[in-house]
Amino acid sequence: MFRVLAALVAFTVLARIPVGFDVGFKFDAALAVIWAFGLLSLVLLTGYVGQISLCQATFAGVGAYTAGLMVAGFHADYLVAVVAGVAAAFVLGVIVGIPALRLRGITLAIVTLGIALVFDRYVFQDHAFEWFTGGTAGWRVDQATMFGLQMDSSKHLMAAYIVLLALFCVVALLMVNLHDSGAGRRLRAIRDSELAAATMGVNLTRYKLLAFGMSAAIAGLGGSFYPLVAGSVSPQPFWLFTSLQFAAIAVLMGVRYVPAAALGGVFMAVVPDVLTRFGHGTFMGRAYDISYDWFQIAVGVLLIVQLIALPDGVWGDLRARALHAWSAAGALGGRKVKVA
Amino acid sequence: MTMLRVRDATVRFGGIVALDGISLDLNRGEILGLIGPNGAGKTTLFNCISGVIRPDHGSILFETNDLTYAPPHERARLGIARTFQNLQLWGSMTVEENLMVPMDALGRRNTFSDALYLPFSAYAERASSERARAILHVLDLGRYARTPAGDLPAGIQRRVEIARALAMRPRLLLLDEPAAGLDAQETAHLADLLHAVRERFHVSMLLVDHDMSLVMRVCDFVYVLDFGKLLAHGRPAAIRDDPKVIAAYLGEESKKPAGDVATVATPREGPPLLEVDRLAAGYGGLEVIRDVTLSVRPGEVVACIGANGAGKTTTLRAISGMIHARGGKVTFAGKDVTGSSAERITKLGLVHIPEGRGLFPTISVEDTLRLVSNTAGHEVDPAPAFDLFPKLRQRRRQLVGTLSGGEQQMVALARAILSQPRLVMIDEMSQGLAPTVVRQLFDIVRVFREQGIAVLLVEQFVESALDVADRAYVFEHGTIALSGPAVELRNDRKLVTGSYLGTAVDATAIAANGNGHHIDPALMEILSVRVPAKVKRALEERAENEGRPAGAVVVELLGKVDDQ
Repeated sequence: MFRVLAALVAFTVLARIPVGFDVGFKFDAALAVIWAFGLLSLVLLTGYVGQISLCQATFAGVGAYTAGLMVAGFHADYLVAVVAGVAAAFVLGVIVGIPALRLRGITLAIVTLGIALVFDRYVFQDHAFEWFTGGTAGWRVDQATMFGLQMDSSKHLMAAYIVLLALFCVVALLMVNLHDSGAGRRLRAIRDSELAAATMGVNLTRYKLLAFGMSAAIAGLGGSFYPLVAGSVSPQPFWLFTSLQFAAIAVLMGVRYVPAAALGGVFMAVVPDVLTRFGHGTFMGRAYDISYDWFQIAVGVLLIVQLIALPDGVWGDLRARALHAWSAAGALGGRKVKVA
Repeated sequence: MTMLRVRDATVRFGGIVALDGISLDLNRGEILGLIGPNGAGKTTLFNCISGVIRPDHGSILFETNDLTYAPPHERARLGIARTFQNLQLWGSMTVEENLMVPMDALGRRNTFSDALYLPFSAYAERASSERARAILHVLDLGRYARTPAGDLPAGIQRRVEIARALAMRPRLLLLDEPAAGLDAQETAHLADLLHAVRERFHVSMLLVDHDMSLVMRVCDFVYVLDFGKLLAHGRPAAIRDDPKVIAAYLGEESKKPAGDVATVATPREGPPLLEVDRLAAGYGGLEVIRDVTLSVRPGEVVACIGANGAGKTTTLRAISGMIHARGGKVTFAGKDVTGSSAERITKLGLVHIPEGRGLFPTISVEDTLRLVSNTAGHEVDPAPAFDLFPKLRQRRRQLVGTLSGGEQQMVALARAILSQPRLVMIDEMSQGLAPTVVRQLFDIVRVFREQGIAVLLVEQFVESALDVADRAYVFEHGTIALSGPAVELRNDRKLVTGSYLGTAVDATAIAANGNGHHIDPALMEILSVRVPAKVKRALEERAENEGRPAGAVVVELLGKVDDQ
């Protein structure tokens, strides 16, 4: 019950935050949720099941292009487009999961990196797949309907943000439930010792494929809203580098924790925009210009600092410290220690 | 009635025949032992039955089901559970969760109803949790239910592995070296536990172990393997007297009355090579050893014995610089090496062979030996090592990871001797090795002494260690309880058994701690919040004086705080 309440509070608070800001920040807010879905998919796959993937942005991209194709190509309702996008990502996830049945660690990382590269270069940017990607210009989705209502990307950005945020809260809640449930324990058992999991009756084939499928579906759910938010789909947001950024920021924020995904999403969407907006000017008589490139360097430096100072991720370690402080305070208050 | 039938099982690894047409029958309700020298194929056969590898030839039948090609989770469904020699608990999960995984992996629940927390899932969840608690209660593990499994000491983890296997409601339990790393007292306790488990849970068992005291006590029937072939099978008593088994596995020495050969302890002269003065060390918030004072003279063999968790391994680690000493002083060859890097200490001629041997599995024997750089820094000729271990000469091109356990230990010893050390520290040399191999290794230790190399041994096999050693230290609760010439300690049997072997220790204390550890979990919790060492020692002293667990003392003290 506490979890449902926490999700509701988080939703009501977060839903109001972008209200006073300009369109650019509203776009950032929606984008933050989309990236948060990508990070959440890694919480499931890496945090719970211990599998490495460097192609989560590809899953999001497949969701985005499928949704774009459904709306722009077949004039479907946006809800149908989202379902199709999630389904397409799920199928691709299961296919990517097949090599993971045999591979682990660095080999699996390289295979998924290869998949991200192939989709980046030879699917999203290739003429052979123009029926899927809508050509070099991509799909334009400025007129869409959802639940029969008009959703215009430039005018209804807040509506899209609210729908996205509500979905994120629901999926995050399910993920937390999953962690403590029987299925979650089986997934975590695979992470800690595959050998023991198999001999204790966990069907490795089934659960690994399911984990990859579900993870891809979560990334695809976020991605399938991209055309609605941005008005079009292009390969750039879903290129190889975004996949690597997902992996880096998931580790930075704490790959085992659901709220860390939200934190990471905000970081990924808002910080680069703030840098490009306010990153140039003069300070104490000297002109400075901090471009987007600085963001990547900052992520690298932060990652190194975090691995030393906060090995369980920003969220993980701060949470542990807060819990520790809280229980210490509780113990003192409850016991009424008197200094004689 | 026959439960498990193995017929003509054959396994080849490359050109090597690991298992050559083995047949085996296990009856319902029986505890079957499987023994044999290292490399005899016990583990291979065990893995065939548990489904980790598939036999090239032959069949395995469990009741009416053909197991030969069934994947591991299928075997679990049929009622076959196993434990692992190298503990495979899910370390980040609590003990209770560890038990719940096999329980509901077999149930009919699905991922989506679990994520939605539907009433059906919630009900199943409560049922599993209650059953897990019941099993933990029977195995006297109830108090660890909420502890992450990875934080428990190894002895308790072994019992949790058995509990986890039982959570599957198996009809056949496969136990892979359950006594590895346990001392005599814990092994005796394990034997009782296995008998109790058979009565309470109605399971049959297949047991692989080197510890003859366990196998003889527990098993109804024993199979002996050698070179992948069946050497003998029969009742334990018959096996013990079988001349073939004695020759291949137990060795002649097991017949001789203990304690008559006694290497004459020639008193060594000269200043000590290694001097340890009131050493203290630990991990995190826990101080494991304190006030450890010992010395080793040149060319002397010194043994450290004591229960698991008494601080022997930690002492070696603190001496060799693998962990930082928190107090005290270590002097080696006249130089103060307290707090020096492990590398510098090695260069002075002190070699540490850690538990698990510290070898590189994907490097060949010869290359491993060539990696040794002596103090001068140039490559050494491995020939003297091959003279000492002729078996390694045959296997010089083989990768270390593919050698049997005994051969790997030989590589570790050979590597140590090539660096021309003045002192070798060997941690648990005989762990997981067959009696004949252990004897060979102790002979090597004697060779070390003849060459003037001092040896500091940490050993679970007290008898063998005292046979070879000049002097010995008995560890208890992180400090040295007793020391003296090995001959005296060996003859003073009551002293050793009283403090260590456990025959004299009262049963309630064992039941309370399970692992011979005298660290109470409640105390552990308090210790982990960094109580100053002085306060902690006072607590422990008080607990010992009053003869009750330290946790009880702490609770009482906290109560007083409340009252004031």
